[in-house]
Amino acid sequence: MNVIAARNIKLFFRDRRNVVMSFMSVFIIFGLYILFLGDTLKSGLSDMPGVGFILDSWVMAGILAVTSVTATLGALGIMVEDRTQNILKDFKAAPIKRYDLVGGYLLSAFTIGLLLSLVTFVLAEIYIVLQGGEWLPFAAWIKVIGLILLSVLSSSSIVFFITSLLNSRNSFSTAGTIIGTLIGFLTGIYIPIGSLPEPVQWMIKLFPVSHAGALIRSVMVEQPMQASFTGASTEMVQQFKLEMGVAFQYGSTISSTALSIGVLLGTTVLFYLLSIMVVSKKAR
Amino acid sequence: MNKIIEVNGLRKSFGELEAVKGIDFYVEQGSMFAFLGPNGAGKSTTIDMLTTQLEPDGGEASVGGYRLGKEDDGIRSSIGIVFQDSMLDRFLTVKENLFVRGSFYKLTRKELKAAVARAVEVADVSGFLDRPYGKLSGGQRRRADIARALIHAPSVLFLDEPTTGLDPQTRKHVWTTIRQLQKEQGMTIFLTTHYMEEAAQADYITLMDHGQLLAKGTPSELKDRYATDLLKLIPTSPTELAQYLNDRSLPHTVQGGIYLIPLKRTIDALPLIEECKGNITGIEIVSGSLDDVFLNLTGTGMRA
Repeated sequence: MNVIAARNIKLFFRDRRNVVMSFMSVFIIFGLYILFLGDTLKSGLSDMPGVGFILDSWVMAGILAVTSVTATLGALGIMVEDRTQNILKDFKAAPIKRYDLVGGYLLSAFTIGLLLSLVTFVLAEIYIVLQGGEWLPFAAWIKVIGLILLSVLSSSSIVFFITSLLNSRNSFSTAGTIIGTLIGFLTGIYIPIGSLPEPVQWMIKLFPVSHAGALIRSVMVEQPMQASFTGASTEMVQQFKLEMGVAFQYGSTISSTALSIGVLLGTTVLFYLLSIMVVSKKAR
Repeated sequence: MNKIIEVNGLRKSFGELEAVKGIDFYVEQGSMFAFLGPNGAGKSTTIDMLTTQLEPDGGEASVGGYRLGKEDDGIRSSIGIVFQDSMLDRFLTVKENLFVRGSFYKLTRKELKAAVARAVEVADVSGFLDRPYGKLSGGQRRRADIARALIHAPSVLFLDEPTTGLDPQTRKHVWTTIRQLQKEQGMTIFLTTHYMEEAAQADYITLMDHGQLLAKGTPSELKDRYATDLLKLIPTSPTELAQYLNDRSLPHTVQGGIYLIPLKRTIDALPLIEECKGNITGIEIVSGSLDDVFLNLTGTGMRA
């Protein structure tokens, strides 16, 4: 398992295209944000002090959630390549256990997703500070890293399930394009969830990756909000959080940290089970 | 005589298409076995089944003493495969590739090192060990493929068109390596090829088409049975020769003034030449080739 994972990681990083493709959605979101989305958002909240710091932290948190999906997708591209180029034939004709092989792909996808997310996190923090924000406190770093771990785990399970259904390079790149285009909307990054119509809000609330976004946001915007919302009522704070997708409202209940963590863990289990079903069906 | 591969009634269908319709054959240990047939004959399907990559619909087979479907891991440990297409990773060096693939065979680190070193030497890849596989020439890739197939010292080596697409010199080099493996290491070679001069060097040939075996035998047996020798005569007086052949009711065809007379054996040409001596300006005797065997049995050329 480890040898295959190490091989996949080497293959991923030696082909620059993989790395670039994995960051493509992130580049696009970031580009749109600094070009005009950021300004639009800021003008809507112009009366708030320290709005830049809040919004920068908010968008970076969303980008981290997206990275966990696009990076694992890029990493699992190697699995699709192996299948389409028949390299899998060479594996199957050797006395290697199927779970070693599948485990190898998953381990490499997880490792690559984690590495790229951590790099993104560091770059995001540098950007925030350069824009006049502050570094996250040490405890928050640890929290965010923990949440990145969790979100990569859950995203890799979803992405693994999707790729296990794909049989050609074409379908893989189509899936990549669709995911890359939609992910920014589905996690409520381009436009805050509060500004969207009700049905779209529900799509975001039901999409597991949004919960990773909400969790990371709640940690990253905590510090800037303390500064901006001093003296504000809890209602106002809550309203802002719901508006920006830091927490989600389902009817009269508001999602908690525990609920979002539960959603991510549940997704992980569900999609791994589904993937195992697909993969073992294919083995026959 | 030890049968290292035994196949009985092996079948495989893909939907409506019966790719392999119940075939029987065996391969002797240490021999070179050529598996021939036009494209789409069912060769690759048969090889995929014997190498445990495709589950048969029916029939039995054993490879290296292991039963197909029951002891697949045993089979996998005792076979090496050189696939038609490249199966190594383009972005890894030859050495990295060999270590990755070698790790599939449950060797200790030390054993693996020794195994890779041996494969490197036999397949003669030491000159480009640290170069990425994707940057190698066709011939170098093929040798790297062979090295990969040899890591675990298999007792049977499957080669699916190992020399297709290589330049003549590289082809010869690869072929020499294959011969050495058989002669010096006693490895059983199971190969498919499009080149008749390669098939002719095999110990035993099996010809397949439309999912069935058409003929089995040594190259010379097959030639005796399915190819005819040919006498080509250029006469001074065509009418006189035609008269002579018709009188003896010898079948013949004429192609551009050359009379083609099929013979059972080359030696049968002698009395004929003796009797027509005065009427001949040119002679050629062509003995039957494997190409003819192939053509006669499948009705298509080798390159079809």
